[in-house]
Amino acid sequence: MSFANTFYNALVKRNSVYVTSIFAGAFAFGVSFDLGVSSFWDNWNKGKQWKDLRAKYVQDEE
Amino acid sequence: MATALSFRKALSAPPTVRTLASGVPSAPLVNLSVRSPAGHGHGHHGAVGPRSDLPAKFAGSVSLSTSSGLVSRSFTGAQTSGVTQHRLLHTTAVVKDAPNVPNFEPYQAKSSDNNRALSYFMIGSLGVLSASVAKSTVTEFLASMSASADVLALAKVEVELASIPEGKNAIIKWRGKPVFIRHRTQSEVEEARSTDWKSLRDPESDESRAKKPEWLVMLGVCTHLGCVPIGEAGDFGGWFCPCHGSHYDISGRIRKGPAPLNLEVPQYDFTEGDEKLIIG
Amino acid sequence: MLSRLPASSLQSLRLSANAHSSSLLTTTVRNVSRVRYVSSNSGASSGAKSFLDSRVTLASATLFAVGSVAWYTHLYGSLPFFGEVHANSPAEEGLHPQPYPWSHNGLFDSFDHASIRRGYQVYREVCAACHSLDRIAWRNLVGVSHTADEGKALAEEVEYEDGPNDQGEMFQRPGKLSDYMPPPYPNEEAARAGNGGALPPDLSLIVKARHGGPDYIFSLLTGYVDPPAGFEIREGMNYNPYFPGNAISMARVLFDGLVEYDDGTPATTSQMAKDVTTFLNWASEPEHDERKKAGLKAVILFSALTAISLYIKRFKWSVIKSRKIIYNPPADKTHH
Repeated sequence: MSFANTFYNALVKRNSVYVTSIFAGAFAFGVSFDLGVSSFWDNWNKGKQWKDLRAKYVQDEE
Repeated sequence: MATALSFRKALSAPPTVRTLASGVPSAPLVNLSVRSPAGHGHGHHGAVGPRSDLPAKFAGSVSLSTSSGLVSRSFTGAQTSGVTQHRLLHTTAVVKDAPNVPNFEPYQAKSSDNNRALSYFMIGSLGVLSASVAKSTVTEFLASMSASADVLALAKVEVELASIPEGKNAIIKWRGKPVFIRHRTQSEVEEARSTDWKSLRDPESDESRAKKPEWLVMLGVCTHLGCVPIGEAGDFGGWFCPCHGSHYDISGRIRKGPAPLNLEVPQYDFTEGDEKLIIG
Repeated sequence: MLSRLPASSLQSLRLSANAHSSSLLTTTVRNVSRVRYVSSNSGASSGAKSFLDSRVTLASATLFAVGSVAWYTHLYGSLPFFGEVHANSPAEEGLHPQPYPWSHNGLFDSFDHASIRRGYQVYREVCAACHSLDRIAWRNLVGVSHTADEGKALAEEVEYEDGPNDQGEMFQRPGKLSDYMPPPYPNEEAARAGNGGALPPDLSLIVKARHGGPDYIFSLLTGYVDPPAGFEIREGMNYNPYFPGNAISMARVLFDGLVEYDDGTPATTSQMAKDVTTFLNWASEPEHDERKKAGLKAVILFSALTAISLYIKRFKWSVIKSRKIIYNPPADKTHH
């Protein structure tokens, strides 16, 4: 109840704040979603991708 | 006053009404068309049209018969289906306030504050996701207009500097245009640097044109009409354009002839150790 | 004609005739066959009715029907009730390859890049003798299976014709990252002449271009066997059950220990076939990894958008759907 009111009063009450927070949220969401999906992807495909193999061949040459 | 009289007669009819299959109420011997006499009663002037709760004309008629007095007939266009209902007057269902409208109370929000916050949160989330998706769409679309990978791969050229001896020109192709690379001798460097460049047509110092004094890198396209100048020729020991006679000096600056500008210097860089020149 | 009708229909005919005659007499009170009260719905029949009418029944029946067809199609490879006509016998189409568990099969699976690197080695040492790979440039290997320096070194092993130079002559120079993989033959005629009239296809898109994809390539490479008795095979041709027509010009090329992998993987025939197939699959679909990643993002985002849109649709409509319209008849002013 109080959380709902806090949310409403902090973000929604003024439309300018609401719209601004939506765009700021979109930016933050875009970055974090990319990071999240990438980390899932890298975790799922651990050891298969080139970035996991690259160190081996770079060290071999030196 | 026959109507008033027969009205009274008709009241003796049995208080039974039934509904025909066509939906028309049938009340034999009850005269529904009877209107209250004009002028009777108080407060209103004259009869006001037919009563709105009467069946239509096609549904029945009233006539006066000598034998049985007033007779009311109900007509029906549709044949009865064989199943008819007896509805006695007292069986009429109780009129509800709004029959068949469900009660929505169980669906009403328990807390209007929570409900409001949730609604705004969902609308805000839709906005966040849509903005994010729209941004990605626009970015990807714009990215599709940039140069493709095979073009970018050709956009840089590496030149082995050791293959160009001192005092020699090398011409290489870069993005379809010739690029002059001049390994200048010490005297040429001094000549280029000692020129009073402020009085030239396109004033540029040699220091600003060559990153390393012994290497001069320029696009080999005459700034006049785009011919390719000839190296080690012309009045100033640099380049000479055979098309219209523009003379460039050993720093590629225009000195004589119709060309308006110095030969263009592309973006270039040296690798560490000065082994290679990367143009682009 | 009437005699062919069942007795009950005759009876109902008579009944309706009765009803017809009686309806003419509007004053007659007729016997009714059924009395309907206000609450005429009996409990038992309403249960059966609501079962037949319900959306759950409809949805589950649809799901059942679609599921049965899908199951049949999966089991037998063709839709039920739709016959298929084939111009070729199964032998002419080639044996259907068995599905193999490729490391990039799953929705979230990227290519195994170590396998791509080994596969490139197999291609370079074995396949490249006859097959070109026109659409792959050296730069494509960089960041996929080789470092930039390795890529440059590989490219410089090959001489490319460039020019014209300032004398107007073509000249040879070592390859650069932007150059494409060199073809083994200068043109199609030379390729046919060197292979008994058969053209070794370009391998850039071979995995996409063959029915069965990587399974087919792997099966073909490992599927060379002796022809069955009675199968005539011409001189210079080889028997392979997976190849359409079963007679293929390419002989078996992969044998155990043919190449030596730099990561120490034992070079068995099937290992090499798997690696080179993975490499060729990458060559056909270099965008594969990015595509699956972007697809994952798109599915998540659009599912979320759909769900929230549905919520907001219900939210916006709730006002309209829950409103009551009540008619208050005007007071009759003719009477008091």
